[in-house]
Amino acid sequence: MAGSGKGRGRAAFTFNIEAIGFAKGETLPEVAFKPRPLFPPTDFKPVPLKMGEEEDYMLALKQEFRGSMKKMPYFMRNEDENQGIEKYSKKYLQMKKESMEWTPDWRRLPREMKPRKKTKKAGEKTKKAKVATPTSHVDVLKKIEELEKKGDEEKSDEEKEKEKDKEDEEEEAAAANEQEEYDEEEHEEENDYIASYFEDGDDFGAGSDDNMDEATY
Amino acid sequence: MTQAEIKLCSLLLQEHFGEIVEKIGTHLIKTGSQPLRVIANDTGMSLDQVKKALCVLIQHNLVTYQLQKRGFVEYEAPCSRVLRILRYPRYIYTAKTLYSDMGELIVEELLLNGKMTMSAAVRKVADRLTETMEDGKTMDYGEVSNTFVRLADTHFIQRCPMAPETTETSDAPPPPAPTLAVNEKDMYVVPNLNLIGKGKRSRSFDDEDNGEHKAKRQKQDADSKEPPPDDGIYWQANIDRFHQHFRDQAIVSAVANRMDQTSSEIVRTMLRMSEITTSSNAPYTQPLSSNEIFRSLPTGYNIVKQILDQYLTLLADDPLEFVGKSGDSGGGMYVINLHKALATLATATLESIVQERFGSRCARIFRLLLRKKHLEQKQVEDFAMIPAKEAKDMLYKMLSENFVSLQEIPKTPDHAPSRTFYLYTVNTLSSARMLLHRCYKSVANLIERRQYETKENKRLLEKSQRVEAILASMQATGAEEVQLQEIEEMITAPERQQLENLKRNVNKIDASENQVDETIFVLESYIESTVKKL
Repeated sequence: MAGSGKGRGRAAFTFNIEAIGFAKGETLPEVAFKPRPLFPPTDFKPVPLKMGEEEDYMLALKQEFRGSMKKMPYFMRNEDENQGIEKYSKKYLQMKKESMEWTPDWRRLPREMKPRKKTKKAGEKTKKAKVATPTSHVDVLKKIEELEKKGDEEKSDEEKEKEKDKEDEEEEAAAANEQEEYDEEEHEEENDYIASYFEDGDDFGAGSDDNMDEATY
Repeated sequence: MTQAEIKLCSLLLQEHFGEIVEKIGTHLIKTGSQPLRVIANDTGMSLDQVKKALCVLIQHNLVTYQLQKRGFVEYEAPCSRVLRILRYPRYIYTAKTLYSDMGELIVEELLLNGKMTMSAAVRKVADRLTETMEDGKTMDYGEVSNTFVRLADTHFIQRCPMAPETTETSDAPPPPAPTLAVNEKDMYVVPNLNLIGKGKRSRSFDDEDNGEHKAKRQKQDADSKEPPPDDGIYWQANIDRFHQHFRDQAIVSAVANRMDQTSSEIVRTMLRMSEITTSSNAPYTQPLSSNEIFRSLPTGYNIVKQILDQYLTLLADDPLEFVGKSGDSGGGMYVINLHKALATLATATLESIVQERFGSRCARIFRLLLRKKHLEQKQVEDFAMIPAKEAKDMLYKMLSENFVSLQEIPKTPDHAPSRTFYLYTVNTLSSARMLLHRCYKSVANLIERRQYETKENKRLLEKSQRVEAILASMQATGAEEVQLQEIEEMITAPERQQLENLKRNVNKIDASENQVDETIFVLESYIESTVKKL
């Protein structure tokens, strides 16, 4: 009947195998069912690299170029929080880096590229932030008292700010707000007492002292 | 944009611009043109960062923007331009060979900064040159300007497209994006600047210099408040012109290898004469008469007109067909067949790769197929004079690596395999594309390996840098030999050995990247020459 070809069960091709070059009845090479190996073995070693003055000079140029690019203001590093050990020199290197900021020519760029600053609000925020951040010269106790007083004022200001935020569409201004609120909160919490727990007029220092006296044995 | 290209682009961007720019650049390359908000959404980065990164990329001519009809701006990053970063050292070196140190530094500054005004570039280069000069000498701006003008005249640097002049009294709101127009006529016109001044040193030792220094600094501060006279006119490196130069170099050296020095000089002269008259992707140069060539030969060469004619005839008759004869007027009109030359160079590269990868017998079969175009299995064995088994084995090896392909020619309409001819053939264009893709992958692998090596030894590298810094500061303040030796011993001998190894490996990998880039250039030029431009 049709289809059995040359003996049952054996591989039969539809064409004359001699056309591709295999002799009749010869064992065919293995079929590979897996992908090529990741590092295939090479039969021949590669030719050695070109050496010479020109190549050396270009190598030096390449490495210098890479190094210079890393120092340019165009190179944007992500600000790593903890790059391993904090180095003392980092503070001084930061100052040098800030002096090399770059501003593009805004006339050549689309308008949406320019970061927008709302100068009025920024002015107000920075003033309050400065007032809230005590400089290192001030005594710690004085700082606590100041914060005590400011804490009440700022609480109401924070509420006002939050309302303003809802009206504001700029994401950046909101981000700035949030950051400054966070700063203020952080500074408020430098003492161990959370201001919002106590009402106005309470002298919590004296109150806790009384408790402490009773508690000590 | 194949995967290999994208990977290579992202590695190059990361090495030169940092991770933030890399993420955004890679995203743009992968997805084509996109508006700002979509980029920020898809990459998950803050709008601020995306804006900054796009500014950096636009500054370096890696991203272009376009105002769409609906009023928003779309940004696009062409993959091919980002891949050019690999070739920057070659551009700088070429500028050095043609215009010495000044040219080298000008091109380097332009590549480092993307685009600069002429005054800024000249000032920076003069400062850098002054640093390297002896004490008391400074580099004059005039010389640097001259080199700048020469670079512009030979088209190696060009003006960037100009932003439109903003009129103060326009009623309509300014468009969301300026349309930058390219004025073909003005592209190489240098603005008429009167740059007077000398380079500045960062540290001055003499009192005289100090006095001058202060006076200059005051003047400089005053200048920086007013806009410079060439404000708004930015210059960039003209990559196409450099490529043209590389191509010419390759053709000249090919002719020199095949024939002799004199014929290569003749070809060089012809190419020089057609530098500016022929566009970079023309199939052949403008016809040049033998008389013109004779007049333009470099003065050192004293060959008689007849000898020149003989050389030209030889070149035109050569089977490689670099030079062709297009007419008989003027003593014979000759052209250089640029596209054919590129094809020949690419084919030579292919042959060499086959030889190095599979052996010289495979190379013989490959060359045979190139010459005879289509051959059957039996014919290959006969013509190449290689025993059947080995020939079969080699053909299949090359077939599996896609250097060689099979062409079916059916005898009957039903394509029955027993009645079909199977012919082996080499398709140079597709093989070139395949090899180019492989080259991109190789360079990406090399860069990754180099980064891995550097990362492994990061601690050691930092330690050695610190020790060097300490040594330098101690030497500056005058320390004793013993103390210096003590500091040097902070790095132990095995660590020193490790550092040596690292340095050698990194250098080798860097040199390999440079050389793979040469192959990339040849293959890319060939493929580009076959693409029909409208």
